[in-house]
Amino acid sequence: MLRRLAPVLLIIVIAACGRREPDDGKVHIRYLASPDVGGFSKVIIDRLERAHPELKVDMVEGPAAGDARENMYSTAFMGKEDSYDLAYVDVAWVPKFAAQGWLRPLDALIAPEKLDAFLPGDLEGSRYKGKLYRLPVQSDGGMLYYRKDLLAAKGVPVPRTWEELVAAARKTRTPSIAGFVFQGKQYEGLVCVFMELVWGFGGDLLDAAGVVRIDEPPAVAALTALVDAIHVDGIVPLSVLTYQEEETRNVFQEGRAVFMRNWPYAWNLMQKEGSPVRGKIGIVPMVSGPGGRSAATLGGWGFAVSAYSRHPNEAFKVAEFFASAESQKLAFLKGGILPSRKALYSDPEVLTAAPHMKDLGRVLAGARPRPTHPRWPRMSDALQMHVSAALSGQEYPADALKAAAVEIRAAAAR
Amino acid sequence: MRPTLRGRALFLLAVAAVAVWSLAPFLWQMITSLKPAAEVAAVPVRYWPSALDFTSYIQMFKARPFATYIWNSLVVGLGTTALTTALGVCAAYAFSRLGLPGGRAALIGILGLSLFPGTVLIVPLKMLAAKAGLLNTRTGLVLAYTALNLPFAIWVLKAFFDRLPKDVEEAAWLDGLSRWQTLWKIVLPLSAPAVATTAILVFIFSWNEFLIAQTLVSRDAARTVPVGIAMLSGVTVYEVPWGQIAAAVVVTTLPVVAIVLAFQRRIVEGLTAGAVKG
Amino acid sequence: MTDHSRAGAVNWLYAAPALLVMGVVSLLPIGYTFGLAGEYHRFATDTRFWPVMRTTLSLTAVTVALELVLGLAMALVLWSPFPGRGLVRAAVLIPWALPTAVMAMAWRWIFNADSGVMGDLFFRLGLAASPQVPWLADATSAFWAIVLADVWKTTPFMAVLLMSGLAAIPDELYEAAAIDGAGPARRFWIVTLPLLKPTILVAVIFRAIQTFGLFDLVFVLTGGGPGGRTQTIAVYAYDVVFRYQELAYGCALVVAMALCLVLMTGLMLGVSRGRGAR
Repeated sequence: MLRRLAPVLLIIVIAACGRREPDDGKVHIRYLASPDVGGFSKVIIDRLERAHPELKVDMVEGPAAGDARENMYSTAFMGKEDSYDLAYVDVAWVPKFAAQGWLRPLDALIAPEKLDAFLPGDLEGSRYKGKLYRLPVQSDGGMLYYRKDLLAAKGVPVPRTWEELVAAARKTRTPSIAGFVFQGKQYEGLVCVFMELVWGFGGDLLDAAGVVRIDEPPAVAALTALVDAIHVDGIVPLSVLTYQEEETRNVFQEGRAVFMRNWPYAWNLMQKEGSPVRGKIGIVPMVSGPGGRSAATLGGWGFAVSAYSRHPNEAFKVAEFFASAESQKLAFLKGGILPSRKALYSDPEVLTAAPHMKDLGRVLAGARPRPTHPRWPRMSDALQMHVSAALSGQEYPADALKAAAVEIRAAAAR
Repeated sequence: MRPTLRGRALFLLAVAAVAVWSLAPFLWQMITSLKPAAEVAAVPVRYWPSALDFTSYIQMFKARPFATYIWNSLVVGLGTTALTTALGVCAAYAFSRLGLPGGRAALIGILGLSLFPGTVLIVPLKMLAAKAGLLNTRTGLVLAYTALNLPFAIWVLKAFFDRLPKDVEEAAWLDGLSRWQTLWKIVLPLSAPAVATTAILVFIFSWNEFLIAQTLVSRDAARTVPVGIAMLSGVTVYEVPWGQIAAAVVVTTLPVVAIVLAFQRRIVEGLTAGAVKG
Repeated sequence: MTDHSRAGAVNWLYAAPALLVMGVVSLLPIGYTFGLAGEYHRFATDTRFWPVMRTTLSLTAVTVALELVLGLAMALVLWSPFPGRGLVRAAVLIPWALPTAVMAMAWRWIFNADSGVMGDLFFRLGLAASPQVPWLADATSAFWAIVLADVWKTTPFMAVLLMSGLAAIPDELYEAAAIDGAGPARRFWIVTLPLLKPTILVAVIFRAIQTFGLFDLVFVLTGGGPGGRTQTIAVYAYDVVFRYQELAYGCALVVAMALCLVLMTGLMLGVSRGRGAR
């Protein structure tokens, strides 16, 4: 039986050979993105191809996980391939991609005054060594979600400082409802959470002069506060050490937490029909500590032009189309994608559809990008690891940050 | 010797334990896939859905062309299996029986190849595939998987050939059969169990492989199942659609279960026919 | 009639296709990796290297040992005839047939701190104070979660390989031992185990190699946390190459991994040969 099967199988192999694309005389612009679930990207592409008949946009729908797509871009660019003309990049990838020479500077292609329309944080996160490498299309920033009903029941005002947050969480939590939940797993999200507090406590990781300041007292105070929240105050369950965004949202949406740090995406899901917390939630910017100002870690996505593209000008045209006010409005209304243009946060049509956009605009106006250093992944990993070690009780906060600082300085010096 | 009743009971208990251990996590996926969305993450855990709900399945096929993915996985898996077994049998036979000068060193070298984790070889592999025009093709995947599986296949098959009694083959030579005919007509039928075992393991490897598939293929036309599952997503990047993932796991496992069951007879036959005793 | 060993050089043709595929698809990228490797001095100052190595080695030792014991038990159970054996054998292969990257997601779901079924089961059995057990928040329990998921997945591989070894043991030896008055346990020690040794060796070596390079399970389940305590060398090397873009050092790590594996394999082969000579 095996012998009779073998030739058949070999024929299948041969038949499975690939085919080339037909040549339609158009300039093909390829990029990789997350799956287009709402279908709004396809609508935007349709409009674009009608406006620019000479262009054909090939959107490759990649895996949903951002780091998987980052690595797909990296492998393509490491081989100097022209398989992607545009890169749809997270704000955290910009310095690394730019430092490797994988991206084309865009300053010559766009008038500076056109850039004023974008949120300042998104723009700052698109720059590396003073040059613009990305056109922001989607904004994102961390914030504090709270349960209006639970706070009102105990007559507790919405906290604006860390101290108030701890006190409010203590008053409102019950054995089955945790005080505060956040993303505490060892991954990039933990750094986003932690940096909000470090900035909120008046500290920094890497200042403008390039000095590593993560082992200074404000940062240590921020980490101590976070560790105490778990191990001393008991307002944060130990399970946050396993949480990414979704676990955090599930807990909060099931009504099992009073406060939550998360990104804006959670809002729409929690306000859906059937959600136990629908209509009972509010958002404010993250709380601050003594001597600091409330801060949000900036997330967000945008288009960069590949240095290996054979059609950089056409690629930029596509990026501009996606970043236009009309496209961003469409992406928001159809897919809940947060715009990177300031004006859209006070746009009447947008506000009718989503009144909370006004609050969101406030949060995102103060959003800060993570340090734009080409060695950021190494630095972030060092910080993740030691913050995680402190949260799980393996290291003391001051020691953890000292160790992280040593590794971050070594990375910066390399 | 007749086993005692207690021995028999203990044995059946062991069988049950093996079956439960192997199936439980998969069954849990199956249950999860049939839950209504609200019960998937319910606390306390619901061990049985309040009503069977197939929404996850419908959504999964709507979200991604899973029929294409399954077909691709089948083609790549069968292709890899055929190629690996064919090349592996020939090579293992040569190493076991044909007294290759320097064969021992080559075998060690082959083993050495498998010491390199595939994860870190994907950059050069991708560059190579790009040069050969094999990006986004199933052929590219078949070749990559074949190369990764050959060391294993050769070693397992060689170990098996080494234990086959030589006299049958020598008799065949005396009868005037060429080496090729001996391999084809005498050795291969005798080693059916080892070949089947190797084939199954190779198939399953290619069915499972994720990282290389993700690196070499970025289009639906050639995408395989594991990568397809990783593409299931909620409306936003953060969302994890557990129900759909569970449904995808169930659907994509069914072909494998079918194949395992189909080949199962073959292995059992081979193993029990006492092929070794000739 | 030809003397088959005299024409040795020509016989290489049998192995040539396999060698060609491996040469192009495996050896070339590996050579490329060696060519890129550099900055070896950084091993001395890298604070991550040794902790990661320790985790990887203990993970390999624990996982492979557990798998061997369980796989042997499984093989023996599935080897004896009983009604419905084919179905149970097929069931046992299912864990191996599921894509690791996807099952890792399923395990993350099972070990979920809030609605995970593992915590709920422990709670119901009276082994945990609450059904919400943060398994992956603690370095030790996270380590064992990885071990469990890996053992679950790969024990069938072990069992199938061992079964093909069992097939090669002639019944006459058991009969002879039985006539000499050896009970089932004794027969296992004096017949099964010694004759199974070559198969065990191959299986253990292959599994050790695979576990040493363990990647997707850790990547998805714990991301190396908490506090970096479950990070394996493959995950670290992957990060160094892809996330940090430190190609030279990353490739040096891969080379170091390969050296470790060569050492490990040599040690196991040496130990087994030393024992065999006695």
